[in-house]
Amino acid sequence: MVGAALLVGATVVILGACLLLVILVVAVRARRHSRNQRDEMLLSPLRPPLITVASGEDDDGAATEELTWATGVSRTVLDRNIVEMLTKIRGVPADQLVRVLEVHGAVDAAVADLTSRSTVRRARAAQLLGLAKAEHTVPLLVTALGDEAMEVRNSAAYALGPIGDPVAAGPVLAAIGAPERGLPAATAAEALQSMGVGISEVLRDGMGDPNPRTRMVAAHLSGERSFTRGLPELRRLLDDDPDVTVRETSATAIGRLGRGEDVDILVRHTVDSEPLALRRACVIALGELGDPAAVPALATLLADADPRLAELAASALLTMGPDGSSALLGHEDDAAVRSARLMASLQRASA
Amino acid sequence: MSWDGLIEGLRSFVVWVMDVSSVPIIIYFLLINTSLLVLIGLAYLEFRAQQRRRATALTWQGAGLAPGVSLLVPAYNEEAGIVTAVKSFLTLRYPRHEVVVVDDGSSDQTFARLEEAFDLVQVPRELPHEVPVRARVLGIWVPRDGRTRLVVVRKENSGRSEAINVAINAASEPLVAMIDGDSILEPDGLLHVTRPFADDPTRMVATGGAIRPVNGSRVVSGRIVRVEMPQTWIPRIQLVEYLRAFLLGRTGWSRLGGLILISGAFGLFRRDVVVEVGGLDPDSIGEDFELVMRIHKRMRDEGRDYKVEFVPEPVSWTEVPVTATVLRNQRRRWHRGLWETLWAYRGMLFRPKYGRIGFLALPYYWLFELIAPLLEFFGILIVPLALLLGVVNVPFAILFLVLAYGYAVLVTLSAMVVDEWAFHKHDRWRAIWQTIAASVLENIGYRQATVWWRLEGWWSSLRGKKHVWGVMTRTGFDEDPA
Repeated sequence: MVGAALLVGATVVILGACLLLVILVVAVRARRHSRNQRDEMLLSPLRPPLITVASGEDDDGAATEELTWATGVSRTVLDRNIVEMLTKIRGVPADQLVRVLEVHGAVDAAVADLTSRSTVRRARAAQLLGLAKAEHTVPLLVTALGDEAMEVRNSAAYALGPIGDPVAAGPVLAAIGAPERGLPAATAAEALQSMGVGISEVLRDGMGDPNPRTRMVAAHLSGERSFTRGLPELRRLLDDDPDVTVRETSATAIGRLGRGEDVDILVRHTVDSEPLALRRACVIALGELGDPAAVPALATLLADADPRLAELAASALLTMGPDGSSALLGHEDDAAVRSARLMASLQRASA
Repeated sequence: MSWDGLIEGLRSFVVWVMDVSSVPIIIYFLLINTSLLVLIGLAYLEFRAQQRRRATALTWQGAGLAPGVSLLVPAYNEEAGIVTAVKSFLTLRYPRHEVVVVDDGSSDQTFARLEEAFDLVQVPRELPHEVPVRARVLGIWVPRDGRTRLVVVRKENSGRSEAINVAINAASEPLVAMIDGDSILEPDGLLHVTRPFADDPTRMVATGGAIRPVNGSRVVSGRIVRVEMPQTWIPRIQLVEYLRAFLLGRTGWSRLGGLILISGAFGLFRRDVVVEVGGLDPDSIGEDFELVMRIHKRMRDEGRDYKVEFVPEPVSWTEVPVTATVLRNQRRRWHRGLWETLWAYRGMLFRPKYGRIGFLALPYYWLFELIAPLLEFFGILIVPLALLLGVVNVPFAILFLVLAYGYAVLVTLSAMVVDEWAFHKHDRWRAIWQTIAASVLENIGYRQATVWWRLEGWWSSLRGKKHVWGVMTRTGFDEDPA
């Protein structure tokens, strides 16, 4: 009897839960539909001035002014749309839209929301402050880099990018390797990319960080931004970093900003005892560097057991003028050389 | 022996079998359902986090640390759709990607179509032999314009795994994505699945994306312009299976750090890691599962800090079988692959160095994926027999069946809620009712048939029968002219 009662009870619970889930599916969809309709209805009268401002046609500021008059829920919906637009537009239209946000009090509200209990509110607040380029909030955003929620840390780093204050570079880079509260490397890299030349020292220090992701971001950006101050650290990372991804990134960076003396260090890591991906990265970097001092080493690699490495070496030699071309003499029938020549001629023809 | 005696003997036997098996089966029933509840709970936590992320999503166009991706497309007799597919792959939103098509000895016009569409020119290139390949490579072609990042390799026919291994050798980017030529990728799909690599570039080794059935949807120039429900029940029920597998199973396992299966229809891997472990095993039936297991084993054997993650955003759309014959072949192959891979990696079970993989994921797959059809088959046999012989209480048996299948429906509905909440790909209300109906209908006939087919696959492996790859008859997309 107990077994049967239990079975009936369990069946009722399961079927009841199924019914609840069906109701939930329907409710989720109905709520989304009605919210979309409401937003659309509230936004429709504001859409013409919004488009005028966003398309840079509000010369007399009348459309901007009209947008500042929005109140209540319309204002909330409008501000949400403006924030979304600010991720895509720049210049005067962006400044005008930021002004609308300021008049609406959205910037001040965002400052207050940075300490909200809701993760989503804190994150959106940080994003708004960044898109509004609220420079005075940099210290608050730096604090938010240590927030318990990843979304908030991510948004704070993102916000520091458009503001572009190099003071924030150190905390952003350090946040990547923060124990338990790390910052995604991609967001950190994007934020740092937008900051001025004042971050070169920070990047140099970052290449000595114990966390491999931090070292990688620092090495990558040093190359991207051509910060030659970081060259000694890049050479050190290429030589002896325990992480092969960091070494490859350093090789690529050296290829972008290195000097003649870097040929030797790159050549040293093309030997076959090194990981193949690193050898290839070094050969590509030698080609980027374009220093004729690399010609003898690259010529040796034409006979390498790895056909791709041989072709990369041939391609690098083809970019090195007469010295490079003469090193290819005698190798005309090699598949690597023929392939590299053909690819170069196809690319030349399409240029 | 008289007929009555025979019946009596059978009845006693059935009673004995039920007595002996009832406790283990109830324990199994409780365990499997509890594990599903745990997976639902984990998936819920993951989706709550995902929802927060989505609500605060930042536009990422793959700048900065986005690693380059080589899309590996094995093609065998795909003349009808290969050009459209390659064009759609080439125009995906991503800052740096190339497409590597390997024509696996097609006997139709696959290569000719590509040659004509992209004005291919042969390159006297020799491919690296980083991943061993048995078949002979016949040549390598690139577009004459020198800009389009496409490489076409022709080789002797030797199967999908070998074709992918050749493509790995031909790939030049640090990440490789294995894609079927008839799959359709979301325009932002690559941005979604590469993001974990950009966020954690030194540890991430593989990511898998969610796959959805494309049957019934409207496709124009290799892009889905309207998501629709499949028109027949077999693919509709598979849609329900895909929802469950991707939105609950893999999301839950990913959250737990025990993801061991990345679908062959779309998986993204670090090229150097795939090369290091030797590429796909051409002799394996479950080659995708086997590859992920080999990566886990290598990483853990060497004590490396690494991650394998699942990205729940729909990334790839694929055509699923519409006939029972093709479905049967697929399920036989899947279960055979599951068994052979689990058996090959049995040494990882309960070994501390394999952590959650050895203590949680693998035991789960043994108990609840591999053995489940055997027990279900036992139930399918014994319950009707017991009813026929009058040895069980009919209302009791019906209640038990309703409970068991009701639970299955509950799991599916949980996935539906997640899908509606997070992705809501289907606009029409009719899709909701059809999905609910499919989740119920799945338990009437379909489920029992797949149980049998899975056992067939397992049995043929145990008997050492050579696996014969069936032909997946594609019905093609409802392509509108561009």
